[in-house]
Amino acid sequence: MDLTPASRDSMRLPVPLRLLIGSFVVAFLINLMPWRGLALQVYPDFVLLILLYWAMQEPRSVGQGLGFLLGLLMDVADSALLGQHALIYVVVVFLAQLLRVRVLQQSLPAQGLHVLALLSLAQLISVGLNLSMGRELSGIWLIFSPLLSAILWPAISVFLALPRLRLRPGQMIS
Amino acid sequence: MSAYQEENFFTRGPSPLARLTFFSLVAIAIMIADHRFQALAFVRLGVSVVLTPIEQAMMLPGKLVQNLGLYFSEQGRLITENATLNAKVMELTAGHQQAQLIRAERTYLTTLSEANKRFGDRGVLAEIIRDARNPFVRKVVINKGSSHGLRAGLVVIDAVGVVGQLTAIGVLTSEVTLSTEKNQSVPVMALRSGVRAIAVGNGRDGSIDVPFIPLGADIQVGDALVTSGIDGTYPAGLSVATVASVDRNPAFQFARISATPTSGTEQHRFVKVLTQEELKEYPQPDVKAEENKPGRERTGPKRREIR
Repeated sequence: MDLTPASRDSMRLPVPLRLLIGSFVVAFLINLMPWRGLALQVYPDFVLLILLYWAMQEPRSVGQGLGFLLGLLMDVADSALLGQHALIYVVVVFLAQLLRVRVLQQSLPAQGLHVLALLSLAQLISVGLNLSMGRELSGIWLIFSPLLSAILWPAISVFLALPRLRLRPGQMIS
Repeated sequence: MSAYQEENFFTRGPSPLARLTFFSLVAIAIMIADHRFQALAFVRLGVSVVLTPIEQAMMLPGKLVQNLGLYFSEQGRLITENATLNAKVMELTAGHQQAQLIRAERTYLTTLSEANKRFGDRGVLAEIIRDARNPFVRKVVINKGSSHGLRAGLVVIDAVGVVGQLTAIGVLTSEVTLSTEKNQSVPVMALRSGVRAIAVGNGRDGSIDVPFIPLGADIQVGDALVTSGIDGTYPAGLSVATVASVDRNPAFQFARISATPTSGTEQHRFVKVLTQEELKEYPQPDVKAEENKPGRERTGPKRREIR
């Protein structure tokens, strides 16, 4: 399925508010699950992923302010240093605003590569902040978190586009 | 979305870069306030009140699966465990009666000598809910908080030794920083030789370092390190770690000593928070005595009353 804005196959409705809020709530709940051990290191930050998606798709409604607030919420939930996630989320949203036109023109796997780069940068900031506070790197597994996010990106894009697609009569979702 | 009804051709407000600068600066300011001054504890407390029930709800599916598995597997294990426990109870009863006698004697003696209070049986039993969701820290979250009378700084133990210290308190939950967390230090002494030391968490793996021990100090592999109690936070006599390796390299001033924590800091489920009374950090200076003798203040080294 071609979801790029240039494609003429799909027409999209404006995003319903409940889809926007619902996706954030679900992502937040997934993040709140008791991750531990290896899973704790490699699980993709779903809130950041959804935030990135909406920052690209709906730049009018989702901006850096929302990213900042969500970041603070995740800081408390993760018992991290207050402001750490906030900084990362704001930077990611900024880059999404900068790159969204270019990224959205491409196919979903190619978008995934851009996501990989963005989220790797986010992970790098996180590691840098933690190291600067004198903490130790707990393992090399942390690099798999952006990778998983990038793999999830096409699936999430399709999933969140489905409710607002208007198909032509006879057209199938391939 | 009202944005679609009134399309603005030009975006209004500050540019993305300006916003980025603003929010980054705020985030950094918050980080500094949190890291340096611990000024934002109340924010955490407030948000955690809302978050706790949600987190508990998110743990339900996992618990359900776990309990279902236990239901089928536990029966046989429980029967054997019950038998061994019964045998152990018989074994311990005699010892317990003796211990009662000794405790009574000790209470009498301590009241006589007004010695420092050691920890008694006061404590709050708590269950570990989850690890802190942060791969950089060694913390766990327990299911008791300020509503159960806990406060930051209290010591957490399990059946065999020190687990860590309470560092952040919520209303219903609180965070325990494990003694293996980097720079988490516990004053200890070697049980065999009485050498005093500080046990500092390593942070990388689950081991504990013992820095600043001279090369010649009497510490061997296998020595038990127990809390010395001289800091007023950790009661004396709690088991902390066992010395695992001692590296005496004459090139360095101090020996490199590594120890393994006694308590299973990574795997236990129930812990006990010792709610001992808050000890005064320093003895109160005797103000009146100094007022009466102003001339003698600088004549000699100032003496501090040591309790």
